[in-house]
Amino acid sequence: MTAAAIDARGLGKDYGPVTALDRLDLEVRDAEFFGFLGPNGAGKTTTVHLLATLLTPSRGSASVAGHDVRLDGLAVRRSIGLVFQETTLDRDLTIEENLRFAARLWNLPDREAGPRIDALLRQFGLDERRRDLVRTLSGGMRRAADIARGILHQPRVLFLDEPTAGLDPRARRSLWDLIRNLRAASGLTVFLTTHYVEEAEPCDRVAVMDRGRIAALGTPAELKRAAGVASLEEVFLARTGHELAESGTT
Amino acid sequence: MRAVYGIVVREFVRFLRQRGRALSSVARPFVWLIFAGAGFAAVFAGRSEIDYRVYMAPGLLGMVVMFGSLLAALSTVIDRDAGVLRLMLVAPIRRGTVALGKTLGATLVGTAQAVVVAAILLPVVGLTPTPAGALLALVAVVLLGLALGAIGVVLAAGMRSIENFAGVMNFVVFPMLFLSGALYPVRHLGPVLHVLAHVNPLAYGVDLLKHALLTRWTDAGYGGELPIALDCAALALFALAGLAAAGPLLAREGGVARAAFRERR
Repeated sequence: MTAAAIDARGLGKDYGPVTALDRLDLEVRDAEFFGFLGPNGAGKTTTVHLLATLLTPSRGSASVAGHDVRLDGLAVRRSIGLVFQETTLDRDLTIEENLRFAARLWNLPDREAGPRIDALLRQFGLDERRRDLVRTLSGGMRRAADIARGILHQPRVLFLDEPTAGLDPRARRSLWDLIRNLRAASGLTVFLTTHYVEEAEPCDRVAVMDRGRIAALGTPAELKRAAGVASLEEVFLARTGHELAESGTT
Repeated sequence: MRAVYGIVVREFVRFLRQRGRALSSVARPFVWLIFAGAGFAAVFAGRSEIDYRVYMAPGLLGMVVMFGSLLAALSTVIDRDAGVLRLMLVAPIRRGTVALGKTLGATLVGTAQAVVVAAILLPVVGLTPTPAGALLALVAVVLLGLALGAIGVVLAAGMRSIENFAGVMNFVVFPMLFLSGALYPVRHLGPVLHVLAHVNPLAYGVDLLKHALLTRWTDAGYGGELPIALDCAALALFALAGLAAAGPLLAREGGVARAAFRERR
């Protein structure tokens, strides 16, 4: 396919009088690792939910994997995987049951889902715990299971919404290894939102979001050069400083 | 459809896994039979046409379905909190499919409970249904499960948190129960309550169950009172109306990103 993985034009969302996302123009290329960096409340999750058709845009348009989010929500949802900030696993089911449940929601026949689930569980180091209830797993394992769930149906575009929130450094590291391997193996487009600057460093391109707008866009190297600073963190602070000072949230 | 099947399976596995919930749902009607049964039997004493505990049996089965299906459907609120609802909403299925899956899952949970309870309760009170009666009772249980399951999903879609649960118990479950004819005939109630009984799905379900189980006592005034077709039609109507309303309600935004945004500000 030649269409961009994500193509947003003037995309915006208001919650009552509050503008969460102003007018977003953004093109994410196929197989790109795209970072969406910004402080809390910058409109990152709103953007992801608009692109995933969980929200209806207040203005503008967008297409994901060539499908219009307003007109063809089902096709969009078929093409994407979405790992939410908070886990979507059922704590009273085992990992395997959760994946089977997701496979059925994505209309995968059981005989096709079985081998895929086996492979993912091995790949994600969850094989030995597959029959354990999710409530008994560590945060890192749950996250890994969430991501396995997100790519089970082999999406073209994977959205990761602050995937490392609440994980310890070791779990974080293994999560990034996992995502790197996935991208290398499948050419998957990954759209990552984060407020951790260092997580955006390996991205092909990064958009720095601030109060519902893109404050800066480019490769990490370009952004540093343009701002005349040595680290992406300084770019982040320079572009979003006032917001941080106001909100004071973490 | 595979997604509906997946949702139903999940619902049932969850039910079986919650041992306490499964056991108490089966025990509940017997607690009513022993305590409410004793009390009402004393009040009804002197009317020799029917043993009160026999009279109560269809109502208790209706009650089992009500608690089983309604509570299972209300678990959609818990799904929202736990994030599972989000997963269902981001899956490539229609909102109506989610509502249908939850409703059918709730129906299955309520029906399974009713079948287990009936297998113990009917011999205990000495009721032996005819084959036709047993079949009609099963139809009643399934239709009632569908109606209450759909209504439960609608209620859950409108609820923001599990804290509204008590309100549902007080203003939905108990009025439904007391205006259903499960414990006493509603025809003796005043006109206002009598009218309310006619918008009560449980009343139609219990009436249908009485048709199925209390045929022998129809002449004495304890059997079903409404035409069987009307009972079935009313229950089907509740189910369809609930399903039609539940899809759009579940899809209503605000449940997902908006709440997160509000917390941030």
